[in-house]
Amino acid sequence: MYVVITFITIFAIGIAAGVVGAILGLGGGIIIVPALTLGFGMPMRTAVAASTVCIIATSTGAAVAFLRDRLTNTRVAIWLEMGTSLGALTGALVAALVNQRVLFILFGLLLAYSAYNMFRTRKEHTRPDVVPDAISSKLRLGGSYYDKALGRRVEYQVTRTLPGLIIMYFSGAAAGLLGIGAGIFKVPAMDQVMGMPFKASSATSNFMIGVTAASGAVVYFARGDVKPLVAGPVVLGVLLGAILGARLMMRMPASKIRLFFMPILAYTAIEMIYKGVKWW
Amino acid sequence: MVAIEPEEKAEHPIELVLARLLRLGSLVAAALLAVGIALMVLGQTAFAPRLITVGLLVLLGTPVLRVIAAAVIFVKERDWHFALFSLVVLCAIAAGIYFGKGM
Repeated sequence: MYVVITFITIFAIGIAAGVVGAILGLGGGIIIVPALTLGFGMPMRTAVAASTVCIIATSTGAAVAFLRDRLTNTRVAIWLEMGTSLGALTGALVAALVNQRVLFILFGLLLAYSAYNMFRTRKEHTRPDVVPDAISSKLRLGGSYYDKALGRRVEYQVTRTLPGLIIMYFSGAAAGLLGIGAGIFKVPAMDQVMGMPFKASSATSNFMIGVTAASGAVVYFARGDVKPLVAGPVVLGVLLGAILGARLMMRMPASKIRLFFMPILAYTAIEMIYKGVKWW
Repeated sequence: MVAIEPEEKAEHPIELVLARLLRLGSLVAAALLAVGIALMVLGQTAFAPRLITVGLLVLLGTPVLRVIAAAVIFVKERDWHFALFSLVVLCAIAAGIYFGKGM
């Protein structure tokens, strides 16, 4: 009986993480790691390994609905995945060499800046015309999607393609170093830097984090850190939650989603800076 | 199911192909996980964890297959830029697996 209750609780946490992850374009690791370590007293390695597989589950579960509704920009995704996958590789390789305190503080500051930027632009429903740069025009990166909340088709262009790719490299490196999907860096890079609409950014980030996390998950599997009895129920929950969350997101106004995203950015920023300073 | 604008179906088939692949991967993984967890609850403690692990591995393989599928589509469409980009991604994942095993 005890086993059943534990399974159901972990499963429920998975559903919640899947819904939040799908809506925000994140993997849901922000919920899963603290829940498993603080709530169930599991070792950090088990929690992070389970969380990495959950990131793949969120990405895969949510991507189906986003792809069908054309919210995902696959061309932008593949262009940027070059940056994230090479970054994830670098991150995994240099993980042992880099001073983690400095990294935590740097990422914290970067996140805080993103949160501030999102706060500043929170009331902008339509952004000033984005003029595509040379690479974006050549590779036809612009796109369009039908926004169910607005009830109309949104056409958009993509700009600052190279700065975007460089940021993705570092976001991939963060993912490799910290065992996360790093959607929290990917969404602002597309939304704030490359001028993509928030929903397209979130859906594209969701699509990409699966590939970023897959390279990390291989390592955890090889080490035997993925415990089937923990990861099984939580991943199943995340899969269902992500499918549900993707449906919800398409009907929500982008301004509401941003409002939801900002406190998460701010919280993660403070926590990362705190971790960095604490270990000084 | 969600309504799709019909005029776009033929224009961007890649999204639909990838959506189908990801749905298949998540359904197979979910089924394996659900059966595994059910067997675990019923007391099949020897066999169930293995079934769950297979489910997790199917899930892990799905995004990698997705990149391979995209590469194949781009090559078929003679979209060489994006075929090359997909290849770079695949090489990075392969290198990750190679180095990951040694860690």
